[in-house]
Amino acid sequence: MSLEELTKWLVNEGIKDDVAVLTRRTVRTELDHLEPEPAEDPDIDWHRLLFAGSILARSEIRQHQEIALRIATGAVTLADSQPVKDAGAVLLDKLSNFRAVALANNRELLETDLEGRLGLGLRMEAQRRKLDHSVLMESSGNWLQVNDFQQRFWDSATKNTWLSASAPTASGKTFLVLQWLINHMRSAETRVSVYLAPTRALVSEIETNLTLLLGRGAEIEVSSLPLREKYDAAYEGGNKLILVFTQERLHLLANVLGDDVHVDLLVVDEAHKIGDNQRGVILQDAIERLERTNPNLKAVFISPATQNPEELLADAPSAADVDFVDSDSPTVIQNLIVAEQVPRKPKRWKLSIRQGVISEQIGVLELSSSPGTLSKKLAFIAAAVGERGGTLVYANRAGDAEDIADLISQLIPPVDGTDKELVELADLAKKGVHPNFSLASLVLKGVAFHYGNMPSLIRQEVERLFRSGKIRFLVCTSTLIEGVNLSCRTIVVRGPRKGIGHPMEPHDFWNLAGRAGRWGNEFQGNIVCIDPDDTTAWPNGVPIRSRYPIKRESDAVLETGDGMADYLERRADTPLSELPDVGQFEQVGAYLLATYLRLGSIEQAGFAKRHNPATIAKIDAQLAALADTIEIGSNIAERHPGVSALGLQSLLNAFRNYQKDVENLIPAPVESQDSYDRFVTIMRRINEHLYPAFMPDSLIPLYVVIVVQWLKGLSLAAMIRKNIEYHHTHGRSYVLPTLIRQTMELVEQVARFRAPKYLSAYMDILHLHLREIGREDLIDDYLDIGTQLEFGVSTRTLLSLMELGLSRMSAVSLYEKIARDDLTKEGCMQWALERDAQFETMDIPAIIIREIREKLLADDKDSQDTLSS
Amino acid sequence: MPAKPFDLGDLHFDKKGDAVDYLNTMLHKYDVGDKVSAEDAKVLMAALARHPEGDEKIGSGVAGFSVRTADFNTKCFWVNRTDGSTMKFAHRACVYGKVRPG
Repeated sequence: MSLEELTKWLVNEGIKDDVAVLTRRTVRTELDHLEPEPAEDPDIDWHRLLFAGSILARSEIRQHQEIALRIATGAVTLADSQPVKDAGAVLLDKLSNFRAVALANNRELLETDLEGRLGLGLRMEAQRRKLDHSVLMESSGNWLQVNDFQQRFWDSATKNTWLSASAPTASGKTFLVLQWLINHMRSAETRVSVYLAPTRALVSEIETNLTLLLGRGAEIEVSSLPLREKYDAAYEGGNKLILVFTQERLHLLANVLGDDVHVDLLVVDEAHKIGDNQRGVILQDAIERLERTNPNLKAVFISPATQNPEELLADAPSAADVDFVDSDSPTVIQNLIVAEQVPRKPKRWKLSIRQGVISEQIGVLELSSSPGTLSKKLAFIAAAVGERGGTLVYANRAGDAEDIADLISQLIPPVDGTDKELVELADLAKKGVHPNFSLASLVLKGVAFHYGNMPSLIRQEVERLFRSGKIRFLVCTSTLIEGVNLSCRTIVVRGPRKGIGHPMEPHDFWNLAGRAGRWGNEFQGNIVCIDPDDTTAWPNGVPIRSRYPIKRESDAVLETGDGMADYLERRADTPLSELPDVGQFEQVGAYLLATYLRLGSIEQAGFAKRHNPATIAKIDAQLAALADTIEIGSNIAERHPGVSALGLQSLLNAFRNYQKDVENLIPAPVESQDSYDRFVTIMRRINEHLYPAFMPDSLIPLYVVIVVQWLKGLSLAAMIRKNIEYHHTHGRSYVLPTLIRQTMELVEQVARFRAPKYLSAYMDILHLHLREIGREDLIDDYLDIGTQLEFGVSTRTLLSLMELGLSRMSAVSLYEKIARDDLTKEGCMQWALERDAQFETMDIPAIIIREIREKLLADDKDSQDTLSS
Repeated sequence: MPAKPFDLGDLHFDKKGDAVDYLNTMLHKYDVGDKVSAEDAKVLMAALARHPEGDEKIGSGVAGFSVRTADFNTKCFWVNRTDGSTMKFAHRACVYGKVRPG
């Protein structure tokens, strides 16, 4: 019998029943409020199972490794005898799951000195595995213990120029990449690295983690601001620099630096998002832009479980050494549990574990009340099954998340509500958003909600306290699958949607579900799916485990055959508002046109080789016709990815034909009384010539109010307050939670996303026009409007505060107390130093004071610590 | 009653309605946020002098005129004063001599 046949037999026959019993027992320990059952399970034959586990551990197949991991975990956590526990630990060690062994030790499940009890052979084997699975941090001389995936990543990233790595969530990817990045920065000639992440949430998380890992006084700077100061310093012998950006921010920096932009190392996190509609092509463009200015660019792509990580290497320079690292190994046991109501008993829910097509009943959950609505189902089941905490609930909309969190807070055992950190978070929510923002009262009960448009300072504190266990229930929306590194013990879902209405694709579902199981903190993670057979909730059933197919947005659009060429033909002379497929084609069309303008034909472009030559030739012909009408240079098109050169040209033509005083085309400073009106007209011009970005027209006044307030440096709380006043004075009714969410959404989607993208293109073309007509005197080079909007600052002082690393919420809160608007970084630090003792009396939330002290007064505090020690 | 002729600076209108039409056309030639040209400003200066609350509107003195937003998503002329303050006015009131033309 070959090893393959043996493992197959073991799984399908040999230990099948024992594993089922073991599974039932391990899962039951994970879930709260199960009805007690008489202990009728037969005793487990640990010796037989552990022997089988050690055979299965050698298999490459995920299912076999899962079983081995379950056997090892079961032996360590359930068995009574120390030798069985020891054998379980050895099996974990064989699976290179050192973190689980460490966890068993921390929980005192193992007696000390395991190695001393092992025979010589086993001890030597364990030692060898430890050596095999360690990497040397050249910079510090320390060894870092890693699993198989991490080991392969480290070796390959060091050896190759381009690497694409893929592994499931909870494989310790991010931790390792950050370690590797720092080690690489310290030991190699690299001066400037860029770490790209798809969302601002992930950017701030990575920035925080890097800063923590580097520690104080590090010789490497970390920044997420697209400003040239630190960049220049890095190449002039100053500190090395890691820039953490979204793709949009990278373009902002590249625009500031022009052809000088030179990045040595690029890390692309969540790289599968190169396939995202509308923003995928901006990412692709960002990667290519860095590659053009540095042909020796080193690039590392990281993605969650993907089918084809090698796809990302297709556009590597031909001379580059490329490799991909792929792992599908489990690190934590993940239990997929379905919850179905017992017929005629709405309070009783049958829980079963699903493994492939097999379903095994685990027990019955008893709810305290009957769940009448969908929100109640989620809330009641989550509150019952995950009472011990670490429980994440997925809601389809931000409003639902708030409702479900409120319901959960009514069901769980009360906590005393005086924890200092929770009280401080509640205070921040009240002062930073609104005194009646429901998050404030919820967090005092250990419950919170979480969505993308929330201010990052609050969201990060929610995440931190959920990790530490003080927040026991967290209700989240799809922000979590868009890239926030947050794991949980139990996740509860019912018919998850991504965005509005679309059932979640299986790979998105598994990216979410993969967060169940905190490797190193828990042995198991649980995914509870409610109403698995309800086809409204789950139109395609509970998705089976699957991996992301990586496909660039540009490739997907080009594969539509004649769709693109056809669109480009219509695009030439049809108003944008009359093109039904503008959302699908405009961004990629802009990318193709910019490529054409640069190269004179897209046939030479890297992507052309992946597509039908006839399609490419047809598109090339259409692009040639369009390019004939375009006078702006390819350099300007390159600066505004996703904005079509046709739109840019159309805007330039409109400026040239403008009959009135050219000064009317320039935005007025936000302090000026006509600023609002100028922006109204500018948004209309953008809608007409560039792209219908601010629609419908009737909402432009609202968009402008938000943009102007944001640029003025108003706090979110002030913007919400003004919105409420507006409703009062105009006699309009409103619902507070909705109004709060809408204001947050307008800030994120309009002021921080659409406005910077299109207003910076507007300004660029306007400057081109002003130079053409000899009116350079009207050009103000202060700070690009895109950067001002991205950060919501228009004064030197606010920008200095953010350059020092403060979140906008803290910066604005402090700026309310600072009289001068022209302070440099040093001026701000001096201001803060003089008032250090008074912050507590200024009615500033404690979390903000903490950030101010960390970022502005760090050196001072360090020296005090040194003095006192 | 025969229509009364009406003058705004150097401009002569056979009847008041023509003057209002002229100012309407001027207003709509501008986008909100625009500064009014020097030529048009002369006409508006003459118009504002005839506004029943002209003195109050002029205040510290006129630096120029703008077209900006009025209530209910419409637009109107605004006077920009030399002290930096600004105030809107109804051009019809300049012609009919009443704040609310009847």
